[in-house]
Amino acid sequence: MDCKKAERLLLRSLDGRLEDREKIRLKDHIEDCSHCQKAEREYRMILGHLKKEGVPEPLPYFNERLLAKLNVKEKTMPGLIWQKWATRTLAFSLAAIILIGGAFLILRPREPQQLSQVEALLLRDENPLTETQNILDARGPENRNMMLIFTAMEEKDSPRR
Amino acid sequence: MEEKELIRLSQEGNGEAFGLLVERYKAKVFNLASSWTQDRAAADDLAQEIFIKAYFSLPKFKFKSEFGTWLYRIAVNHIKDYLRKKKTRLKEIPLEEGKKILTAENEGRLEDEQVEEKRRALVQAALQHLPEKHRIILTLRDIQGLSYEEISCVLRLSPGTVDSRLFRARKKLREKLAAYLGQEGGEYGL
Repeated sequence: MDCKKAERLLLRSLDGRLEDREKIRLKDHIEDCSHCQKAEREYRMILGHLKKEGVPEPLPYFNERLLAKLNVKEKTMPGLIWQKWATRTLAFSLAAIILIGGAFLILRPREPQQLSQVEALLLRDENPLTETQNILDARGPENRNMMLIFTAMEEKDSPRR
Repeated sequence: MEEKELIRLSQEGNGEAFGLLVERYKAKVFNLASSWTQDRAAADDLAQEIFIKAYFSLPKFKFKSEFGTWLYRIAVNHIKDYLRKKKTRLKEIPLEEGKKILTAENEGRLEDEQVEEKRRALVQAALQHLPEKHRIILTLRDIQGLSYEEISCVLRLSPGTVDSRLFRARKKLREKLAAYLGQEGGEYGL
């Protein structure tokens, strides 16, 4: 193992992220390498000093001040409120549209349909067959006259043939 | 009350539930902010801004990750913005000044506590002179104590990238302190 590789493994070992086999290899290397022994000492010291002594505390009344600021922001920035509730509002709006649309489709009043002549007669409690017979009867004389005309024309034409 | 329930109530606009979440996480968020600002009042302001941002982003939280990880992501992004805006106003400890202090104090004997304090200040100063991406990863891992997996989620990096970036950041920090690390033998030298 060279020192470059050892340095990488050393830093991983300080985080406790080294497998047993690598730990042994690193240990063997450090025992024989003064350069890496120095590196190990220095890294331990540096990382030990990175953390500050004592946990710093925020200024007093942190929560109270924060909630007061939130209240002010909510009141003065309606855009933020919209942003906050946008997702929820969108879901509710979609659900409402689907619900109202569905109800409209199911419960909408049916348009009056155009009745056929037969239906109209039945609705007026009249017999459609009688009505048809009347119509045919009304046309009867017309048809008879036409037949007479055609017969007369045929009789006129027959001697010529 | 369980955290999920607190989050759900907070999403509905329940201020009391959000207050309980703040109580659980304010120390961590404040600690993260203070490792960037080196100033208690500024860190307090930053932490408040982070929680305000989190409150208004809560409807977007879909429980796909831990709430703490999600909050850290907001915090890190907010701190990055803050640093970009107020880069010149950051209260940094000049590294050379730290060196002078150490060398001067080498003349006499200092109490162990004082020596430790000086060393700590020097390491902190060196940290502040690192590039932003290295500072962030060192802060999350070595100050905040987040796991590789959590850092991976917060910074949206693969675990392999976290590993290599962390290695480079620590190496760079050691290089920054190389001048002081060479002063071996004395009880004040690093």
